Amino acid sequence: MDFELDTDQQAILDAVGVLLAQYAGPGRAIDLAAGDAYDFDLDAALADAGFTQVAATRGTGPLEAALVTEAVAAAGGMVSFGAAALVATGLGAGDLPGPIAISEARPPGPVRFASHARTLLVLDRKADEARVVALEPGTCAAVRSSFGYPMGRVPDALARSGDALGGGSAARLACWWRLALAAEATGTMAACLDVTTRYLSQRRQFGQAIGSFQAVQHRLAELAIQIEASKWLAREAAFQGAPAEGVATAASYALAAAAQVFAETHQLSGAIGFTREHDLHVFSMRLQTLRIEHGGVGAHRRALSAERWGRA
Amino acid sequence: MNFAFGREEEAFRHEVRAFLADYRDLDGFFRQGRVWPRVKAMFQAMGERGWLSLAWPREHGGSDASAVMEFLLWDEVAYARAARNPLAAGIVARTLIRHGSAEQHARWLPPIRSGHLHFSLAYSEPEAGSDLASLRTRASRQGERYVVNGRKIWQSYAQDMDCLWLLCRTGSSESRGRGLSLLIVDIDAPGVQLTPHPTLDGEQLNEVLLEDVEVPVENRVGPEDGAWALMSEALADERHIQFPPGRVRRDLEEMNAWVREQGLADDPHVVRRMADLAVRVLEVEMHGLRVLDAMQKGLPAVVEAAANKVAHSVVCQEIARAVVDLAGPEALVEGVRPSLLWRQSLWETIGGGTSEVMRGVVARKGLGLGGRA
Ligand SMILES: Cc1cc2nc3c(=O)[nH]c(=O)nc-3n(C[C@H](O)[C@H](O)[C@H](O)COP(=O)(O)OP(=O)(O)OC[C@H]3O[C@@H](n4cnc5c(N)ncnc54)[C@H](O)[C@@H]3O)c2cc1C
Repeated sequence: MDFELDTDQQAILDAVGVLLAQYAGPGRAIDLAAGDAYDFDLDAALADAGFTQVAATRGTGPLEAALVTEAVAAAGGMVSFGAAALVATGLGAGDLPGPIAISEARPPGPVRFASHARTLLVLDRKADEARVVALEPGTCAAVRSSFGYPMGRVPDALARSGDALGGGSAARLACWWRLALAAEATGTMAACLDVTTRYLSQRRQFGQAIGSFQAVQHRLAELAIQIEASKWLAREAAFQGAPAEGVATAASYALAAAAQVFAETHQLSGAIGFTREHDLHVFSMRLQTLRIEHGGVGAHRRALSAERWGRA
Repeated sequence: MNFAFGREEEAFRHEVRAFLADYRDLDGFFRQGRVWPRVKAMFQAMGERGWLSLAWPREHGGSDASAVMEFLLWDEVAYARAARNPLAAGIVARTLIRHGSAEQHARWLPPIRSGHLHFSLAYSEPEAGSDLASLRTRASRQGERYVVNGRKIWQSYAQDMDCLWLLCRTGSSESRGRGLSLLIVDIDAPGVQLTPHPTLDGEQLNEVLLEDVEVPVENRVGPEDGAWALMSEALADERHIQFPPGRVRRDLEEMNAWVREQGLADDPHVVRRMADLAVRVLEVEMHGLRVLDAMQKGLPAVVEAAANKVAHSVVCQEIARAVVDLAGPEALVEGVRPSLLWRQSLWETIGGGTSEVMRGVVARKGLGLGGRA
């Protein structure tokens, strides 16, 4: 057992860090969000450098893909990287054209990245299968939302179509999707905390940095503890190849923590955190979208309980 | 103990409701910046009925009405989502009545009472938020005028207002709360410059730059360097109407209706959570009435009001967040109510006194624990 990154993993994260410094960051996310846009440049850069396929590459696997997914989320990348690098590869669906969106067969509302997607992965629990649908971008009408990602409405007929990926594929899609959500939420939460901690260590009131007040420190520390746990739960689930119980645990934990991370980082940022010019919202608003995707925390918990103790 | 309002009070509540029927679609409580002309017209109509000066003393054109009547008025206005209670008729007018000169009364009170003159609260600064007493905007006396320089930030609605209710430093830079004065500043005065800061609810807050702004000395309200005590007094007058429970009551009703429209009403998780929230709304109602009760008896209500602010603002957030969690992605769509409430309620625990400041008041003054104010 060893919680430290090995040299290859460190090298991957260093390399992706260089790329993200060039192609991501909150300022870029704010600009893209203004036009409900997708970051095709970042997407291409990640693919060209081999990061999108890292899970399917010799010598690396889902753990490395999860690490990169976390990093992309922490940099506010406006790409459906988790869907490509963890979910599509995890399903063994090959190198599908991106952007990739993931939807239930009966989507309960707009779907993240659907308006830009060229591939839709459909989770059909009833038919117990996952399907791949090729799309012309724009097939799913864009839906405006202020929650950090471009969204689109998946037409019913589309969600019922596609090529089935065979027996057991529904369960596998559900697992990889949960893992992607846990990794994305973890990176996004880490960014919320980072923006807030940096702000509060320089923001002074009452003659001292707000971050030096004990009451504030305790609250930030509590978030750090939860984010740390989210990170390792997601990484372990990735390391194990996305087992149902592991990913349900990771997703339940991370997305429950997300509510507190959202509330506390905003509260402790004061009025500036409520403005569009401050970076916090780039990350914080996304947390809510992640929180309710794939049935939300309730569904992750039910999945966990079903795996652990069997369905009633 | 008696939890019911009197006959006259209930009759007034009905009169207010009837009046508000014309403003049902206004939504000025959340979108004042977009519908200001109509909100202003409503305030003027309220002014004609004497409602903006309900509890002012008669000699200043008020009706000497009780705190209860005032509470009922603004509770109904909040419930109807029509507007937030205007600063002018509240904090500004009450401070003027207590501390203004006869000339100031004659000049400012009539247009405030009639709903024609409106103010933005200019207290916070980029470097002075929670620690308001550290503010630096300076007013230098030069003969019969002050020359004001500094920067204010987070002024709600300033883009539509007529005047700033400006808290500024007239004492030495170390004087903290002992060296502050209140000035009325014409928002169109030369040297006043507004910059919008777009906010997450789709509205805006404002930054106000003041460069060599000349303000006549007769626009100072109360003694030079003596503003701190005045501000607390004015706040005290407003405690029962600042955070009316009607807002939270309405939040729950709207969210419940929306959840039903989504076909979720029978989901046992939804039922449990909505019931839970219904309890919280009554909790808020009780806190609000506790403040009112204390005010009615002439008690300071400092602790009650702080508790009320915390409960009220937290429950606003809980309702919106629960509904978005329960209803899923449909609640994130721009323009649907849960999306707006979710984003708007974000600041309720920050603006108007942060939860941290309020909890500090409950701890120090309610529980008698020590520590810095
Ligand atoms: C929507 C909105 C409308 C507003 N309208 C107006 C207006 O019209 N006029 C006006 O003048 N101002 C207005 N304000 C400003 C408001 O009064 C300030 O936001 C508030 O005083 C907090 O200051 P700050 O935002 O600078 O937070 P900061 O003081 O920077 O504090 C940041 C966070 O740290 C916490 N904190 C600070 N010190 C401590 C401590 N010692 N212990 C524990 N926690 C601490 C705070 O509670 C807060 O959560 C508005 C704010 C908002 C959000």
